[in-house]
Amino acid sequence: MNAELKLFALGTVGVTFVLAALLVTVYGAETGRVLQALAMRTPLLLSGSPDFSRFEGGFAANIVISVWAMMIAAVAGTALGIGMISQSVLVRAPSVLLMNVLRNSPWLVVLYAMLYLLPFEIEAFGTIFSFSPVIKAIIGLALPVTANIAEVFRGGVEAVPTGQWESARSLGYRRLQILRRVVVPQAIQFMTPNLMTTYAMLFIGTSLVVVTGANDILSVARTVIASDGAHYATAIYLYVLFLFFLFCFPIAILTRWLEQRVRVRQ
Amino acid sequence: MTHHRHSQQSAPLIEMRDVHKSFGANAVLNGVSLSVRDGGVVCIIGPSGSGKSTILRCINGLMSIDRGTIRVGSFAVETLKSDKALVPLRHQVAMVFQQYNLFPHRTVLQNLTMAPVQVLGEKPAAVRERALALLAKVRLTGKQDAYPGELSGGQQQRVAIARALAMQPNVILFDEVTAALDPEMVSEVLNVIRDLAREGMTCVLVTHEMRFAQEVADEVFFTDRGVIVEHGPPGTLFQNPTDPRLKAFLEKVL
Repeated sequence: MNAELKLFALGTVGVTFVLAALLVTVYGAETGRVLQALAMRTPLLLSGSPDFSRFEGGFAANIVISVWAMMIAAVAGTALGIGMISQSVLVRAPSVLLMNVLRNSPWLVVLYAMLYLLPFEIEAFGTIFSFSPVIKAIIGLALPVTANIAEVFRGGVEAVPTGQWESARSLGYRRLQILRRVVVPQAIQFMTPNLMTTYAMLFIGTSLVVVTGANDILSVARTVIASDGAHYATAIYLYVLFLFFLFCFPIAILTRWLEQRVRVRQ
Repeated sequence: MTHHRHSQQSAPLIEMRDVHKSFGANAVLNGVSLSVRDGGVVCIIGPSGSGKSTILRCINGLMSIDRGTIRVGSFAVETLKSDKALVPLRHQVAMVFQQYNLFPHRTVLQNLTMAPVQVLGEKPAAVRERALALLAKVRLTGKQDAYPGELSGGQQQRVAIARALAMQPNVILFDEVTAALDPEMVSEVLNVIRDLAREGMTCVLVTHEMRFAQEVADEVFFTDRGVIVEHGPPGTLFQNPTDPRLKAFLEKVL
């Protein structure tokens, strides 16, 4: 963990310094005033409300969207992954096809597609479900991530030696039981770093949801720029970059650390 | 011997007839027939790639066969197609592997109790008691909470034998179980198998330990290129081999 802590400290200080230097280069003597303006707009950028009274927009929305999309994709991706390693070609072939279609779809295109594919609302079981921009964003991001997680699942399962399948079968376990009781518990350690990388990618991808009309940080940033003036645009976008970095960098460091640990244990 | 398990007249517990098996264009079994009586100890010897391990995997249905019949007790193995249909057979026929194949994420005790509880639906408390007794039997008392990775190869293989026994099988298949072990650990594993053989457990061993085969087996089968070339009691087979292929093989390994 020590090497990773050092890297974390260096990375954080380094990136902060570079972004600060950029800010000074652009704004010169004005930097102080710009920083003050950024500080004033921080609650709005982080929570979507001017005084942290609600957390329905801004960076909080990016986090909420990413967590929901990840949870949905984890469930769907596991199911798709199980389909991809099925013994029946009738299950396997469509699963592999679906995975490839989803994985090779540009995220932005999927999000735009959601705008037109998903109706404004649907009626099911006597209740009306409406597809808010946030829900469209969550579904749109969950689709390609499902494919990524299915691949991570398949890779993790295949990293477990085949002898484990053989001995479990000879003890009377059936395929799904073997996955659940024997193989997946061992594969988790191979999957975790890849899942974390996938989540970090997904989180960066939440910056795209602005196209669905969700009130995410980029949409708030644009509103702020519109009201405070284009003069501040550079500062605000640098600030948004910094926030994304602060969120994703620890995940990257933790992933590295986990990868090292898995390697040592083998 | 008056015990019925040792009478030669009773129907064999395992009977393979004219079994064929290919992997693609590669024919591994070309008409294997063999039978094992209840309580019998049978060793299968032969050069590597002669189909020895495949024979074992066909007996417990890990591999399906292309032609022929395999009967184990009341089961016609070649008719059991799904893993679900194979569960009762696997309850009766346990297997021990060259690479142990213990579950590394579970303790020694859990390795023994998992399948009886999760597959056979037995009561955990009863299984636990039986598992501890089995660990004592394979001389591993006190290791129940260790993880497989913390044990030596010989100890892991003895856990694997105990895990097979925990299913309360009628037959145990041993697939070159000492081949991956350091020489000094071979005897501790063979001792356990010898005990089982003496207690009347039906054992089918694929092995390279000729001395051990000679000692414990009541019948030895020699395979080459997917057929049983010669079989008989170890005394006859080892001392007076008739087939030239067996003679050449024995010259090399003895």
